[in-house]
Amino acid sequence: MNSSSGMSRAQVAVLYLVLTTAIASGIVIYSSASTVTALFKTATTGLFLPLLLSLIVSFLLDPAVQFFEGQKINRTLSIFIVYILMFSLFFLFLLIVGPPNWEGMINALKADFPRYISRAIEWLSGLLAVAQQHFPFITNYDLSERLRATSQTFFGVVLMQTPRSAIKIGSLLLLVPLFSFFFLRDSRRIMRSLISLTPNRYFEMVLDIYAHVSWQLSHFIRGRILEALIIGIVVWIGLSLTDIRYAPILAVIAGATNLVPYIGPLIGMIPGLVIALVDLGMGGQFWWILCVYVLIAQIILDNFILIPILISKVSNLHPLWVILAIIMGGKLYGVMGMIIGVPIASIINIIFIEIHQYRRSFNLYNRYFTNRGKLL
Amino acid sequence: MFKKLDDRELAFLENIVHVRNYGTDEVVFGEGDVGSGMYCIRTGQVQIYKLDEHGNEIEQAVLEAGDFFGEIALTASRPRCAAARTTEPTVLIGLFRSDMIEAVRRHPVPSSKIMLGLNRVISDRLLQCNLQMEVLKKQLAALQKKQSDE
Repeated sequence: MNSSSGMSRAQVAVLYLVLTTAIASGIVIYSSASTVTALFKTATTGLFLPLLLSLIVSFLLDPAVQFFEGQKINRTLSIFIVYILMFSLFFLFLLIVGPPNWEGMINALKADFPRYISRAIEWLSGLLAVAQQHFPFITNYDLSERLRATSQTFFGVVLMQTPRSAIKIGSLLLLVPLFSFFFLRDSRRIMRSLISLTPNRYFEMVLDIYAHVSWQLSHFIRGRILEALIIGIVVWIGLSLTDIRYAPILAVIAGATNLVPYIGPLIGMIPGLVIALVDLGMGGQFWWILCVYVLIAQIILDNFILIPILISKVSNLHPLWVILAIIMGGKLYGVMGMIIGVPIASIINIIFIEIHQYRRSFNLYNRYFTNRGKLL
Repeated sequence: MFKKLDDRELAFLENIVHVRNYGTDEVVFGEGDVGSGMYCIRTGQVQIYKLDEHGNEIEQAVLEAGDFFGEIALTASRPRCAAARTTEPTVLIGLFRSDMIEAVRRHPVPSSKIMLGLNRVISDRLLQCNLQMEVLKKQLAALQKKQSDE
């Protein structure tokens, strides 16, 4: 018996069965895939930061390891030597300079924080009052109340996060040296085996682009970290010449925020200026601190010396991309995301620039594709 | 090119080369491609050819196991002056510029020996080219003289 479409009842039944099975297996595959993704996500939570930091540490230590390798010492031993040297240098530094009393300073800052904020609000309110005299249309904007609410929320978060951060830092101190060790020892082997999977026709191109990108990246990361470190040290020295408290913490903030171009240094100098204004008043010391932050650290040191020497102009991002990277980084990983968002955007930028330059120099498109865009 | 390397240096070389397997009639590189390294033939056969203005292939050489090609690209990024294609299943050992540059930094002694070997090979080939050019010039002069006599 044939149906109107020319298929027997048995054929229709088989078709129905096949379609149902296909849909059911599709749903099963989809749900198991999303379960696997969810499991993978849970398993890798919290690994991103240690992995990223390890990558940065391995980029920083690689030249030193290479130096020892050049002295006919094998790579594993070279890494151990560099580790021992780094730890010894760190402890020697602590012995000579003396460890800064971080805990005491943070506790004191916690106690002082409301005072600084209320003084800053007072100062801003005064400023607002002057502004309102000249521009009456801003009368309704309650700046001081807004600032008070924001700062209270921020302070609450800081209080809550401190013990959690301590655990995080403890785990980082353990994981980062371990991961960096394996990155330093095996990254070359891992990358070689990954590149070897490329089809023969594209192998040379992939190897060349990889070499360019990794060279640019290592220079960029080393440059940025060194830049932040030097800025931090200069700010520390500059602030230590005055009576300002918390100079080491302010130097760490200045160095870390310096990793974010354009906006970072501006944000980095705010705490220092507020503390200087409240504790020291608007005297000579305040102007010296402003001079250290703006003129010495940013204009002379960063713009004229460090950026031209350490960082190539190629890896500089357009300000719009910087702002987008900060916003997206902040949404994903909070304050840490804001700091690492821009370097990650720069890394993606470097990869695009390298591929683009390679294509432009050697017209790769015509070599591998026909005029109609078909792969040769 | 590698004959002056001792066992330890050969082991080092083994770490920086890439072993690639090719099927029959597989293009290794095309004429004008960006060159980034040289190849040694471990097993198999490679045909070196150029294309004329009509797109016809003109065979330049057929290389066997133990031969190498593309060595000019090892030191500088230049377009390949001829194309290479396998004529049977072939295993090639590739030595590439990026690996060589890294090796020069990390292991200067064996790397400089490899570079000296490369220099020797290129010098030999340059000398051969010069000699061939001399012979061709003489042949051309003789031909021109013959034509003018006629």
